[in-house]
Amino acid sequence: MSALEAVSVTKRFGGLVALSDVSLDLRPGEVHGLIGPNGSGKTTLLNMLSGYYRPDGGRTSLDGEELDALSVQRRARLGIARTFQKPRLLPALSVLDNAMLGCWRDTRAGFVETAFALPRARREEKAFRDRAIELVHGVGLGHALTRSAGLLEHAEQRFLEIARALAARPRFLLLDEPAGGLTGAEIEHLGRIVGTVRESGIGVLLVEHHTDFVFRICGRVTTLDRGRLIKHGTPDEVRRDPEVVRVYLGA
Amino acid sequence: MSTNARNLALAAAGALALLTLPYWAKDLYWLHLATLIGAYWILIAGLNLVTGYAGQLSIGHVGLLAVGAYGFAILAGTHGLDPFLSLLLCGALGGIAGLLLGLPSLRLPGFYFAMATMAFALIVTELSLALGGLTGGGTGLSVPGFPSPMNSPWGYYWLVLAVAAGVTWLTWNVARFMWGRALIAIRDSEVAAASAGIGLFRLKLTVFVFSGITAGIGGGLFASLQSYITPDTFVFEIGLFFFVCIIIGGRGTILGPFIGTVILTALPEIVAPLAKLGAFFYGLMLLIVVLLIPEGVGRLVEVLIRRFRGEPHRSHEVKPDLPRLASVLARKEDAA
Amino acid sequence: MLAVIVSGLAIGAVYAAAALAYNVMFSTSKVLSVTTGHLFMLGSVFGAWFIGTLGWPIPLGLLGAIAVGAAFGWLTEIVAVRRVLARSDEHLWLLSTLALATMGQQAVGLWWGTEPRPFPRLIEQDFASGLADQKYWLPIGLVLVLALGLELFYRGTLWGKLFQATSEDAFAARARGIATDRVRSFSYLLAGALGGLAGFAAGQLTFAFFALGLQLTLFGFIALAVGGLGSNLGALVGGTALGLLSSVASYFFGGEFQHTIAVGLLMVVLLVKPEGLFGAKRVRPV
Repeated sequence: MSALEAVSVTKRFGGLVALSDVSLDLRPGEVHGLIGPNGSGKTTLLNMLSGYYRPDGGRTSLDGEELDALSVQRRARLGIARTFQKPRLLPALSVLDNAMLGCWRDTRAGFVETAFALPRARREEKAFRDRAIELVHGVGLGHALTRSAGLLEHAEQRFLEIARALAARPRFLLLDEPAGGLTGAEIEHLGRIVGTVRESGIGVLLVEHHTDFVFRICGRVTTLDRGRLIKHGTPDEVRRDPEVVRVYLGA
Repeated sequence: MSTNARNLALAAAGALALLTLPYWAKDLYWLHLATLIGAYWILIAGLNLVTGYAGQLSIGHVGLLAVGAYGFAILAGTHGLDPFLSLLLCGALGGIAGLLLGLPSLRLPGFYFAMATMAFALIVTELSLALGGLTGGGTGLSVPGFPSPMNSPWGYYWLVLAVAAGVTWLTWNVARFMWGRALIAIRDSEVAAASAGIGLFRLKLTVFVFSGITAGIGGGLFASLQSYITPDTFVFEIGLFFFVCIIIGGRGTILGPFIGTVILTALPEIVAPLAKLGAFFYGLMLLIVVLLIPEGVGRLVEVLIRRFRGEPHRSHEVKPDLPRLASVLARKEDAA
Repeated sequence: MLAVIVSGLAIGAVYAAAALAYNVMFSTSKVLSVTTGHLFMLGSVFGAWFIGTLGWPIPLGLLGAIAVGAAFGWLTEIVAVRRVLARSDEHLWLLSTLALATMGQQAVGLWWGTEPRPFPRLIEQDFASGLADQKYWLPIGLVLVLALGLELFYRGTLWGKLFQATSEDAFAARARGIATDRVRSFSYLLAGALGGLAGFAAGQLTFAFFALGLQLTLFGFIALAVGGLGSNLGALVGGTALGLLSSVASYFFGGEFQHTIAVGLLMVVLLVKPEGLFGAKRVRPV
């Protein structure tokens, strides 16, 4: 079974229960929404899937293989890529270099090969540059290719993070509030990019507050409240669920 | 393309000037100074990957310099080994010392690491005093030179220049390929680095060991240049000096720290009062740079040039090219 | 052997005092200042200068030493901490405090000289008093008083409570209307005064020596890391352990391996208990 899963996971921070017995599975080629009020545990779950936290109960797995013991790095190398709520770019580097950083997963040239500029290091550099250029244009930042990432506006930073994540050729892409701070037109662009990513076979987890956006582009939606799972299903089922309406959507 | 051509011309002119320095330097003293800068630079170029790129603040690299210097004095001097072989062994020795220092300390938070490197420098001084049978204790050791034609000031300058150029080339390669991006990611955002799959500790340790190797080789050349070394040759302030050269020159460049090294080595020789102030001057420079231009002088020059040239109109509009995105995502390429 | 233990306890008390000073500054700013040891160096050098050279009466010399230490602590906050904290980048405060420490040490070296100079007697006592000599029990007594005083200050006074609130969560403290900037300034002033006082009291043991600063910055930090960052009890235990170990090791192996042994202790403790003996486990930041 090909999927990235959290099975009945629980996470406590001190006395606070951030997640309690929550399950979620993300399949290739789907967009899975994760919604809920602030502090409901959405980002905690995403951090757990990408390896920043270990579950206190339950487990995370990839294709049925347990992930819990694996570091963030190991999971990245297995094909789990992510973006951050507050974009974490390298302001000193250009847009292209930032996108190329994602290619580290495919870098085989070691330190010595690199230092002596041996053929593999050169070949990789060229291939990665080409891949990153395509991705940067693909997400709509062709105009800023050589610009320093520190000079980007907010929306550009968000799209660049997506390009960087995609440069790792991930199987699963976890997006942490990618629409936060974007204008309506930019959210439209984001939706189309996510659609294109999904069509390529990548499974996308979308943690988001813009519920209209989520219901429009997701195949399935999971709703959390105060660390508990309150509803899981198609957008229509979730939208009509009385509990979801009560705690989150409002009457 | 024109900027590329101009950069190439500038680099060629710089290389020519350095190669022919013995012919136009005013006297032997300047040649000695240039050789000293070269020996320092061999260490600083390696340290630059650790501090300027990976952002690890090693203030005790003088300890590694001392390991290389004593190694050379003992191998080539006491035991009469071939100087070139000794120099290689010094590199190995420095690398091993770097490994031993980096293994326990590079996992620790920044301040812990800085203190560990400082303690290492003090330990090396302590051991060089304590192990008198090996190091000559407080009296020190005399250091042999290299065989002809490297036994003349000109010959030795060219030897050091060649090694320095080689080391610079190695670090330039590391900086411009994927490793350079990964190191800067470790410096600027460990979280982003980890999420890209970068093994923080492994990369930090690798470049730290490399910096140990260059420090060992630089130390050997330094010792031979000085022709006599004592524990007082390797005071803690020199470690601070290396570190300040990089911070002032600017992090994440190679040219910046190089210019920093040249200026900070030469300035106290030209302006005598600065030599008297010694470490106070380095501290002051460091404070000014940290408070006013934390990116370093090199970066400031870059920004000024850009401002002077004027910025083209900037667009910020995001316009995805979905067919292009789909086609790159559909590639089933393996890594090169 | 008793002499070894007493001198180890005395020098350990100085390390413990340095660790306490680290803690006072760290609690309000989360900064480990490289200038910590230099506060002590200034206390001893200026104490010796005021009393020995200028001939001031001892109480005035003491006040002067405290004032110089406090001034340097305050200067650290203004010059090296306040501005760079806004940028929230760890390497910057390390650099700025390192720069200031270097300048301070070198300035004293140029002015005072680079040789250690003796510190005047503070209390009438025969030089042949052996283990009862004031140079041992002054620092030991003082560090106990300082630790107790800090505890009373934190628990019993309004300023102490503001310190604690700032230390636990500076953001929340600011939200509750505490002027955390002023609390931080005050903590550096306090650490400076503490350092000046302890440096003065330990002057006869350490001598008035310009390089004492960096030495105590390192050994105080090792004591702190061994005892556990943020814990005053840990500072006392860590300092004492380090002092005793150095002293006993010097007795058996000679004094040449001071740093090697101190760092060895640190490495062992960090391997077994990375947060130190009495330190709080840190939650991993994401």
